[in-house]
Amino acid sequence: MVDTEFALSARGVRMEYRDRSSDVSLVAIERMDLDVADGEFVSLLGPSGCGKSTFLKIVNGLLLSTAGDIRVRSLGKAREDAMVFQDAALFPWFSVLDNVAYGLVCAGVSRAEARSRAMPFIDLVGLSGFEGKYPYQLSGGMQQRANLARALTVDAAILLMDEPFASLDAQTREAMQAELLRIWSAAKKTVIFVTHQIDEAVYLSDRVIVMSARPGRVLADIRVELPRPRSLDVKRTPLFATYEEQISKLIASQHQHLGLGSQRDEA
Amino acid sequence: MATAPAPSGRTGPLGSLRVARLGGANERLLYGLIGFVLFTGIWETAANAGLFRRSLLSSPSLIWNAAVADFSSGAIWPHLSVSLSEFAIGFVVALAIGIPLGLVIGMFRRVDYFVSVLLFGIYATPKAAVAPLIILVAGIGMESKVILVFLLTFFSVVVSTMAGVHAVAERHTEIARSFGASRWLTFRSVVLPSTVPFVLTGIRIATGRALVGVVVAEELAASAGIGFYIEFFGTFLDTARVMLGVVLLGTFGIVLGELVRRIEKRFEVWRPENR
Repeated sequence: MVDTEFALSARGVRMEYRDRSSDVSLVAIERMDLDVADGEFVSLLGPSGCGKSTFLKIVNGLLLSTAGDIRVRSLGKAREDAMVFQDAALFPWFSVLDNVAYGLVCAGVSRAEARSRAMPFIDLVGLSGFEGKYPYQLSGGMQQRANLARALTVDAAILLMDEPFASLDAQTREAMQAELLRIWSAAKKTVIFVTHQIDEAVYLSDRVIVMSARPGRVLADIRVELPRPRSLDVKRTPLFATYEEQISKLIASQHQHLGLGSQRDEA
Repeated sequence: MATAPAPSGRTGPLGSLRVARLGGANERLLYGLIGFVLFTGIWETAANAGLFRRSLLSSPSLIWNAAVADFSSGAIWPHLSVSLSEFAIGFVVALAIGIPLGLVIGMFRRVDYFVSVLLFGIYATPKAAVAPLIILVAGIGMESKVILVFLLTFFSVVVSTMAGVHAVAERHTEIARSFGASRWLTFRSVVLPSTVPFVLTGIRIATGRALVGVVVAEELAASAGIGFYIEFFGTFLDTARVMLGVVLLGTFGIVLGELVRRIEKRFEVWRPENR
């Protein structure tokens, strides 16, 4: 592959855990190959335990893969990647401003400068006026905005988003999806977005990578050709429904393959 | 941006919350005072009615007279200052050594393994049991009491600080790691703030114990201090002065407890009200 503008390129990434109590080794990711172009929005979609979050942590450097090779290009940005964590990922003892500035402080920027550089991103995610509040004073959706702002502030080439809206109620979740697209087009980032919700993946992404149940591997790589900018109304178009159906069939075939189809439905 | 509510100013919901809490505090004080007045009133009336011997349980008015006499003559001051000094020195030294040590032990797994059995063993042992030994070694002066206060405070502060470090949430250290925080920054921004509530709990427990330590040691063997004062007048059956000593200790305990509570509040502005 001679793609000159890839942001991330993963080859043969494999992850095994050794279970300490039984000494059995568990394969979380069998094999992951993935290329993400600069500026692309890619979702990793799959059931819990398929290793999609694990893959993000490997890219981020929080975990070391058992085998494989990942190359990430910083493309002139200050950092290669930054993580947007799942729920409750703010420090409760810091104000919103200090939470958002935290990534810069980690990079050695002085606190005062980090704070002033964080402010535009607090505005961008729509938290102006809340910078002095503590996380417990914010709603779940607002906490995730701060979480996103922290990752944006460090000026990374790739945003790694680990089911960031999983704990939000359905309405807030939809609003946040639309917000994310607005911010994404304003900030011009490459995004790798982990989710287990089909409609979320289709609505947000340029490409949806469907993963198998554990041990995780790529089942399909689907390009979503819905026009941008996308409003939430796009979810009610026939084309959107076609994508949803295609993906849910893929996932259902997985269940049948594993003999889980009917049992899942009853449970 | 349709979902975010308008930013509230300084007089938003928090302002009204503060007013409500102030009202609650006043109410607490009022009922507390009524309770106190009722208690002393019943005690005084019962003593005057001859329901028990005043020479044994004294009465509020007798205690008040003793207080006026000993405070105006200045006879009680040396005892107060000795006890307070013993407490303060032992306590402050214990915090100054105990908190950093607890942090270090908590941070380094091998140091933890090395000392924790010993530490928890000593922590669990009632230190009053070794008071006679300490007095034998350090004498009947202030030193033995300072040592006892130190021991009582030190171990509970070390143990609770360690527990605090161990309780640091994995998801918080993961954030620090993800953004590449140095060890020192991780310590300052994650470990320390998560540990503070535990340290304060340790301090709160320690104040009560240390106060008991001072009194027990002074009653065992001393030449000054409130414990000595109580013990001394006890042998003369001067129960009013014995009670005066007890009341002073109680007052000190209340003041100290309130102080710790204020510090806790100060450190925990980021905590949601869980009442």
